[in-house]
Amino acid sequence: MMNGQNPNINVKVTFIEHGDEAEQVDRFMNEIENDLPQAAVEGIQSGIDGMMPISILKKEVFGSEDLKEIVEINEVHLSERTSVLDDNTYTTVIEVPDNFTYQTLKHMVLDQDTQPTLKVTQNDQHQIGSSIVSDVLNQFQEQLTLGTFLEKNGIDQNAIQLDEESYGEVTTINQKKSVTSKGYYAVGMAVMNVLFIASTIGSMAFLEKKIHVFDRVILANVSRWVYFTGVLISGTIIGFFHLLIVFGFAWLVFGVSWPDLIAFFTVTLAFAAAVGGIAVLLTAISYRFNSEVITNFFSGIVVTIMAVLGGSFFPLGDSSAIIRTLGNLTPNGAGMSAYLTILRGDGISQIGSHIFFLIIFAIVTVIIAALSFPKRGLAK
Amino acid sequence: MLELVDLSKKFKQMYAVKNLNMFIEKGEIVGLLGPNGAGKSTAISMLSSLVEPTNGDGRFNNISILKRPAPLRKVIGMVPQEIALYNDLTAEENLRFFGRIYRLKGNVLKKKIDEILELIGLADRRKDVVEKYSGGMKRRLNIGVALLHDPEVIIMDEPTVGIDPQSRNYILETVKRLNAEKQMTVLYTSHYMEEVEFLCDRIYIMDKGNLIASGTKDEIKRILSAEKTISIKAERLNFLCHHYGYFFFFRNHTINYRILF
Repeated sequence: MMNGQNPNINVKVTFIEHGDEAEQVDRFMNEIENDLPQAAVEGIQSGIDGMMPISILKKEVFGSEDLKEIVEINEVHLSERTSVLDDNTYTTVIEVPDNFTYQTLKHMVLDQDTQPTLKVTQNDQHQIGSSIVSDVLNQFQEQLTLGTFLEKNGIDQNAIQLDEESYGEVTTINQKKSVTSKGYYAVGMAVMNVLFIASTIGSMAFLEKKIHVFDRVILANVSRWVYFTGVLISGTIIGFFHLLIVFGFAWLVFGVSWPDLIAFFTVTLAFAAAVGGIAVLLTAISYRFNSEVITNFFSGIVVTIMAVLGGSFFPLGDSSAIIRTLGNLTPNGAGMSAYLTILRGDGISQIGSHIFFLIIFAIVTVIIAALSFPKRGLAK
Repeated sequence: MLELVDLSKKFKQMYAVKNLNMFIEKGEIVGLLGPNGAGKSTAISMLSSLVEPTNGDGRFNNISILKRPAPLRKVIGMVPQEIALYNDLTAEENLRFFGRIYRLKGNVLKKKIDEILELIGLADRRKDVVEKYSGGMKRRLNIGVALLHDPEVIIMDEPTVGIDPQSRNYILETVKRLNAEKQMTVLYTSHYMEEVEFLCDRIYIMDKGNLIASGTKDEIKRILSAEKTISIKAERLNFLCHHYGYFFFFRNHTINYRILF
């Protein structure tokens, strides 16, 4: 983007149609045959292809030369609605209610019936894509209104000033709350900064080895597993309270509040356990190799990479699927996805996979750490 | 009481300690003398069960240290060469922390802390953070921590390195006192001949991982006097003394260098 090239954007638009548009057009034509003069019917019949809003939207708007490179259109059956809405890869789901085209035509041609409404669900994590689709839909709605108005009144487009009347409407019905930038970055910074707790504890543990405090612990007949568990629990507890303090501050100063506190505490605990796992892993490796390099490398390089992949600096929704998957495979990325899902108003059932990943991550890091931890005092 | 049998430690291709044999009887002070890199610290780490030997074993009251380190650990106090203390805690807090590790608590711990602070001469500085202490004070507290659980054996790894003569004397006197009053067995490593001469009943001398001499003070002196003596005129005595102090006995500006074959 910075060098003037187009960003690699992949916009996935999914249509869910409750009814068949062609059947609605046929029904409309049959009905007006008796009510309108033959000439008018024939006129409408000849231009009917240009009066099928959904087909135009799919083929001529999203399928246009300008958009077809970045927009991928999918059509799914109504029965798949739930799974599509749960799928984080979509950018926008356009739900076309039953009789939408029929009502649109009646409203446009006969000034009858109520204005139909499209249901548009946008994915907050795909900010650029959602913004593009939103602009396109608004433009389409304005063009539809303008075209209909001009056709009905036989007025030259350049000579008129459009009134406020609208013959169609795009209404965004997002059943979930949108995440504010303050909320997004509070989460992004919290999940990144808490990783430094792990490296700090790793460094302190290595210092205890370096200055022979660990020797004193071992010579006091304290099992090395007690020390190991101490590091794990310290990482978890400090990580947990670190997150609570950051989010408490975000709540007090920025008004970032959590709709579901149980889900919030569950994610925080699982994420803190993952941080504890990283702390004990860094400790074990630095003890094993008698070097602090791994801890410094983690805090200096790995945390930054994990923060980028996890989405702490910018949303990854518009990035490729690989990047998004990699992001969710980092503990901070999984934690961030879970927190954002809660902020959007979802409950604990929607974040189960992220919590499961965080717990598995914590267990795996603890197992690797246990295998790496020196078996007898110092690993000289 | 404590013995090392054919103890070796190999790092990659190099022996830090090779076939070390030594013993320590209950209540005696034994010196382990040698220059930097002689293998003293590695030897005492193996003796105290902190490092696994490549070959050989240590025995404490005829129990293998390798197989069963717990009985030794129960009665051993270790004073590492490094200052094994938390710099941002006070002397009292450090003692309380390490006392808790030794499962001391309540009044027993409180009394022990008072007793140790008195013994090491830091009672009036108990509330000061260690960071503000002089090198000598830190060394004394380092020893104090090792005495918290009334150990029968104390192993001191060069406890007087880098401190002023006053603190050094205090430490040496304290070691003597502990041995005399509490019959504490002491293994004292140093590279200062005069320290081990002052403190120890028996002396082991190590160099490059090997034991090169051992015996009582008198035996060691006899060995040394039987060696060849070369007189060296030195212009920079301070420099030489600093690096080779324990091998040199100097009069005026002449140093008699006793070579050990």
